[in-house]
Amino acid sequence: MSVAELKERHIAATATVNALRERLKQKRTLLLDTDGSSSCYSHFAGYARSQGRTPVSFGPTDLVCCRILQGHTGKVYSLDWTPEKNRIVSASQDGRLIVWNALTSQKTHAIKLPCAWVMTCAFSPNGQSVACGGLDSVCSIFNLNSPVDKDGNLPVSRMLSGHKGYVSSCQYVPDEDTHLITSSGDQTCVLWDVTTGQRLSVFGGEFPSGHTADVLSVSINGSNSKMFVSGSCDATARLWDTRIASRAVRTFHGHEGDVNTVKFFPDGQRFGTGSGDGTCRLFDMRTGHQLQVYHQQHAAADGEVPHVTSIAFSISGRLLFAAYSNNDCYVWDTLVAKVVLNLRSLQNSHEGRITCLGLSADGSALCTGSWDKNLKIWAFGGDRREI
Amino acid sequence: MKGLLSSMLPVGVPIPHSQDEVEYSFAMEYHGPPVTYDLPRAVPIDIKRIPTAAVVASSSLSDKLSLPVVQPLLAPDPSGKKHPKELIQGSRKIVSPTSVITFDQRDRDGPDCGLSGEFSSSGTLAFSNGHDQSCELSDVIDDGSGTLAFSNGHDQSCELSDVIDDGSGTLAFSNGHDQSCELSDVIDDGSGTLGLSNGHEGSPQLSGGIGVSGSLGCCNNRDESHESSCSSGALRPSGDCKESLDFLNDINPPDWGSTESIQSSHFLSSEISSSKGDDFNNDPDCHAKRTSIVTFLDAESNDSVNEEFGPGEGQVIQEQRGPGTKTKKGACYRCSKGNRLTDKEACIVCNKKYCSNCVLRAMGSMPEGRKCVTCIGLPIDESKRESLGRCSRMLKRLLNELEVQQIMNAEKSCETNQLQADLIYVNGQRLCPEELVLLQSCPNPPKKLKPGRYWYDKVSGFWGREGQKPCKIISPNLNVGGTISANASNGNTKVFINNREITKSELRMLQLVGVQCAGNPHFWVNADGSYQEEGQKNIKGHIWGKAGTKLVCAVLSLPVPSKTTNPCGEEVNNLVNRPVPYYLEHRALQKILLTGYSGCGTSTIFKQAKILYNKPIPFSEDERQDIKLMIQSNVYKYLGILLEGCERFEEESLDEMKKKQSLDQFDDVGNVKENEEKTIYSIGPRLKAFSDWLLKVMVSGNLEAIFPAATREYAPLVEELWKDTAIQATYKRRSELQMLPVVASYFLEHVVDISRTDYEPTNEDILHAEGITSSNGLACMDFSFPKSANDDGSETADQNDSLLRYQLIRVHAKGLGENCKWLEMFEDIRLVIFCVSLSDYDQFCDDGSGSFVNKMLASKRLFESIVSHPTFDQMEFLLILNKFDLLEEKIEQVPLTRCEWFDDFNPVRSHHSSNRNSNSVNSNPSLSQLAFYYIAIKFKRLFNSLTGRKLYVSLANAWEPATVDEALRYAKEILKWDEERENLSMNELSNYSTEASSFSH
Repeated sequence: MSVAELKERHIAATATVNALRERLKQKRTLLLDTDGSSSCYSHFAGYARSQGRTPVSFGPTDLVCCRILQGHTGKVYSLDWTPEKNRIVSASQDGRLIVWNALTSQKTHAIKLPCAWVMTCAFSPNGQSVACGGLDSVCSIFNLNSPVDKDGNLPVSRMLSGHKGYVSSCQYVPDEDTHLITSSGDQTCVLWDVTTGQRLSVFGGEFPSGHTADVLSVSINGSNSKMFVSGSCDATARLWDTRIASRAVRTFHGHEGDVNTVKFFPDGQRFGTGSGDGTCRLFDMRTGHQLQVYHQQHAAADGEVPHVTSIAFSISGRLLFAAYSNNDCYVWDTLVAKVVLNLRSLQNSHEGRITCLGLSADGSALCTGSWDKNLKIWAFGGDRREI
Repeated sequence: MKGLLSSMLPVGVPIPHSQDEVEYSFAMEYHGPPVTYDLPRAVPIDIKRIPTAAVVASSSLSDKLSLPVVQPLLAPDPSGKKHPKELIQGSRKIVSPTSVITFDQRDRDGPDCGLSGEFSSSGTLAFSNGHDQSCELSDVIDDGSGTLAFSNGHDQSCELSDVIDDGSGTLAFSNGHDQSCELSDVIDDGSGTLGLSNGHEGSPQLSGGIGVSGSLGCCNNRDESHESSCSSGALRPSGDCKESLDFLNDINPPDWGSTESIQSSHFLSSEISSSKGDDFNNDPDCHAKRTSIVTFLDAESNDSVNEEFGPGEGQVIQEQRGPGTKTKKGACYRCSKGNRLTDKEACIVCNKKYCSNCVLRAMGSMPEGRKCVTCIGLPIDESKRESLGRCSRMLKRLLNELEVQQIMNAEKSCETNQLQADLIYVNGQRLCPEELVLLQSCPNPPKKLKPGRYWYDKVSGFWGREGQKPCKIISPNLNVGGTISANASNGNTKVFINNREITKSELRMLQLVGVQCAGNPHFWVNADGSYQEEGQKNIKGHIWGKAGTKLVCAVLSLPVPSKTTNPCGEEVNNLVNRPVPYYLEHRALQKILLTGYSGCGTSTIFKQAKILYNKPIPFSEDERQDIKLMIQSNVYKYLGILLEGCERFEEESLDEMKKKQSLDQFDDVGNVKENEEKTIYSIGPRLKAFSDWLLKVMVSGNLEAIFPAATREYAPLVEELWKDTAIQATYKRRSELQMLPVVASYFLEHVVDISRTDYEPTNEDILHAEGITSSNGLACMDFSFPKSANDDGSETADQNDSLLRYQLIRVHAKGLGENCKWLEMFEDIRLVIFCVSLSDYDQFCDDGSGSFVNKMLASKRLFESIVSHPTFDQMEFLLILNKFDLLEEKIEQVPLTRCEWFDDFNPVRSHHSSNRNSNSVNSNPSLSQLAFYYIAIKFKRLFNSLTGRKLYVSLANAWEPATVDEALRYAKEILKWDEERENLSMNELSNYSTEASSFSH
């Protein structure tokens, strides 16, 4: 069979898949409509409200900015906590990764990157190394314990190259220091073996049921590290099983814009997404249903919807922190789908767009990174130690 | 925490030891003896009544100056101890409109109320009145309105330091007899900064104030002998706004930190007043924040202030101030503990010293080295320059080694800590930053350069402080500062060296080494020490030639040339090869983004630039390896395409043969079997297996995965395959293979060499390879333009040019994400070079949704989306029209109108078609040149309609280094022009814009 013939078949098959997908979408909306409420904007929130659940109330001192991590000279694009909660790595446009001690706000490492256009960074589970990726299409690993070279720079200990597009997101597989999952602008996600630098599996790309546009974000299930979810510019999120690279376990439709960010719910049974259409959604991993839409009507005169740049769940899952491109950062009550707080309205809030959010492992603090070059750590005050 | 607490609590109250048990709040319960007076109450501030910034705003600042504020200047008489009252009244008028504070008039006691530290949302006001008091307002960061530090009285000081104020005025004001008004390090955007001090022994300071609309330091001093027994030491509220909290344990109300210092000072003053409480009795109607500090019954008794105090009272005051004032020398500024002997770290800006417990809190993460958090961004104290980067023991103890190293590095190399060029004058002319760099980076730089005025003898390299004898011989011929004046070193010997009248000690030296100095000669001394008399040709001698000269110089403490003196002027000024200081590298780096639709040749331009400007080693070993693998896998890909074509041609010819055979069937049955499956496109079974395998690998998309192993195994096979007649036959028909890129033939010709393991790509190969790296990610290179032949010695500006570093960033259009999502990461780009392939007009590509679009239109669409991207608002664009050579070849066969965007291209063809290729551009442009101009205009119009500005266009053929060099130099000129345009005035700018619009039509 010649390549041309194969191509023809592929085109025909793509058309069929698209038609089927359309039908699936219609079916799904039908099913959703029979959930008991006419509008798809109140799935379980309506139920929760009917049960008399009220939104979490926030006092003025319940969420307080207690640290400002200054030191970057460019927009901060990404951050990650160590599991033992007291260190943060942040990636900025100034071409540096900085490792912070979150308790003292001291810098323990400043890593000059070979390519300044960094988009993501991640801490390894044991806190010994950090990974970062960006427009150079390479995921670089730095061992924090390796000696610095004569210029005082930390050398790259491993380059994971193989992506054909920018590396948009990376995350270590929990409890495994040797495995890392990246997402890329080449429409694929890759599971890497960090020690050898080899690709273990490629998700998407040539295989069917992969993303059809740039993949922007990945999140690994905290309770079952074999499962991870990816969000893409094709407005879908896909669930993958690292043991089955050939196809996605499930595709989640619903968003009308790029899925900029995905994050697993703490219980590992559902995940949240943030999108360019200005909404956050909560999907159930097993049923494939969309559980909730978190959407705030904006009175923007130009009709431009601020898109969601990053999301994070509180440790209980009751709160969803969502940062928007218009500098807002809402705290949603996930149960009743109400905004309970806007970080922007607090004292000491960021002056620029918040690009990344991260909760410490014990849930006691939230770190935000922003275009204003600073990172801020917010702690839950008052009676709440964590939520 | 403890230090803070101690300043908040009244004296005598023990400081609770375990912090965790105490629930902190502002209002501590008062446990002291019952008071007999009304306590000053804090009345809630009515938000609506808080005046706005307008009152202190810059526009009215000048009016304010004529207000009664000035009156006291004229008023004080030698015995004028009553004036404070007037001052108060005068000042009250000024202050009340802006102040949140209201205080009623008190006639009896005279001017004895002190208000210190009032913060409001709209303004910041520190107001202090009285005899012995001070008002300090430090570390104020104020957005939106005025900052006013005001102080009236006899012995006082008003300090307003580190004020960062956006939007309106900053006023530090101090009136009185013995006072100092300090306004230091004020950074003020938009309006005036005023440091004003009046009085007898006032010492106004206005240091480092940068005000856009002007700074005014005003001072009226009278040298009248006014005795003041009190020191005018500054009272420093010991609170530190930047108290950091442990975020897990000490969660405090968010506004806690900002009000802390006021609280402490407030508390402090009310405590004092409690000891002199009677004076308040007449004032039941105290308003908010009005707090008396010290009450004097009669201002006349000012001279004996100290005697009036009972020892106890004096002590009270002394103790109260203890933590804040500098009376206790050597104590930590923050926690007031420790003494001279304890280890402390000082801020390199404000010299506040902190003990080891406080230093990390006060200085935070030290992004610019050892500076208080509030001093970050301010230039350092010059006296501390020596200690930059020298770490103390304490810091080493507190932080780990790496951290210390980083901080010290930051301290040394961050730009704010560098010597400020405008503080240095050479030959009476203020240096610009580039000159300073030149000075510091020359082979023999002046040592320990400090701000000040210097003279510099460019011919001989003598260097010294203005008005003094030379202290060093630095590199000569540096183009810094103005021309040397005759009295630069303040000599009076009537002997001149290089137009400078030399000093006595120099003359002595000359005499001692035997230079004839009779008759007031004018000497002309060169860098190498040879000297001649002015106007004469012959060299009279050599100063440094004699053995004794250096000894004499040492005795007279005159400088001698260092051994490495470079007498050759040209080399000194050649800065290209010198490493640029780190901090400058960042500032001078001009970033250029190079992008375009896929296949437009950006990667070739990038690689060409690398070869052009990274002369000795354009590509590192890693890059070569990467490119080698890329070329090899690409060659396999080309082979695969050939094999595919080969199969196709075979089938076709077989079909033809079958047709033929069916026609000839009747004639010759026996021959059919022999001819079957034997065309010139058939390949042998061994090669067939290889080709099947190769095609399979290609289809699965794992072509790269087989490298480099494949080179070892299949190199002989590849050779055999290439030499096979079937492949050669197919290669001859390569124009029919759409998939095969143009460069394929370049590599296929050398396929035998390339497929070997020991293949090393040449620069030419690298240039021809598709892409830069296998991942096709972003690539960037730093370069500066080497001086080209025609640039030589044209202007002095070139010197700065060679300092400028450029960064060329090449990014694939796909690498920018869908809808150029990641363009926002390129906000610091100075220029975008958009590349378009001229030969694209008849080519089509898959636009992702399965339909085919004209590549030129796809290019245009990408251009539109990049140009209109919000990140690139007001960005300069340079369009490079690439692949002109292909256009020349193609345009005769394929009309430009093939692309629908160019359907109105009907060039006026000259009649002398035979002359078409004669390159006589002016008289007779060729069709391809006409096409180029036409396309350029098309893009210019498009750009103009999108942005209203002018698009720069350059023509290139990326294979030819000269055209790339030309295009990039054009880019440099655009950047330069862009910079200069910023300096032009507005009306010139409008001229420019009209010119631009007229250009594009």
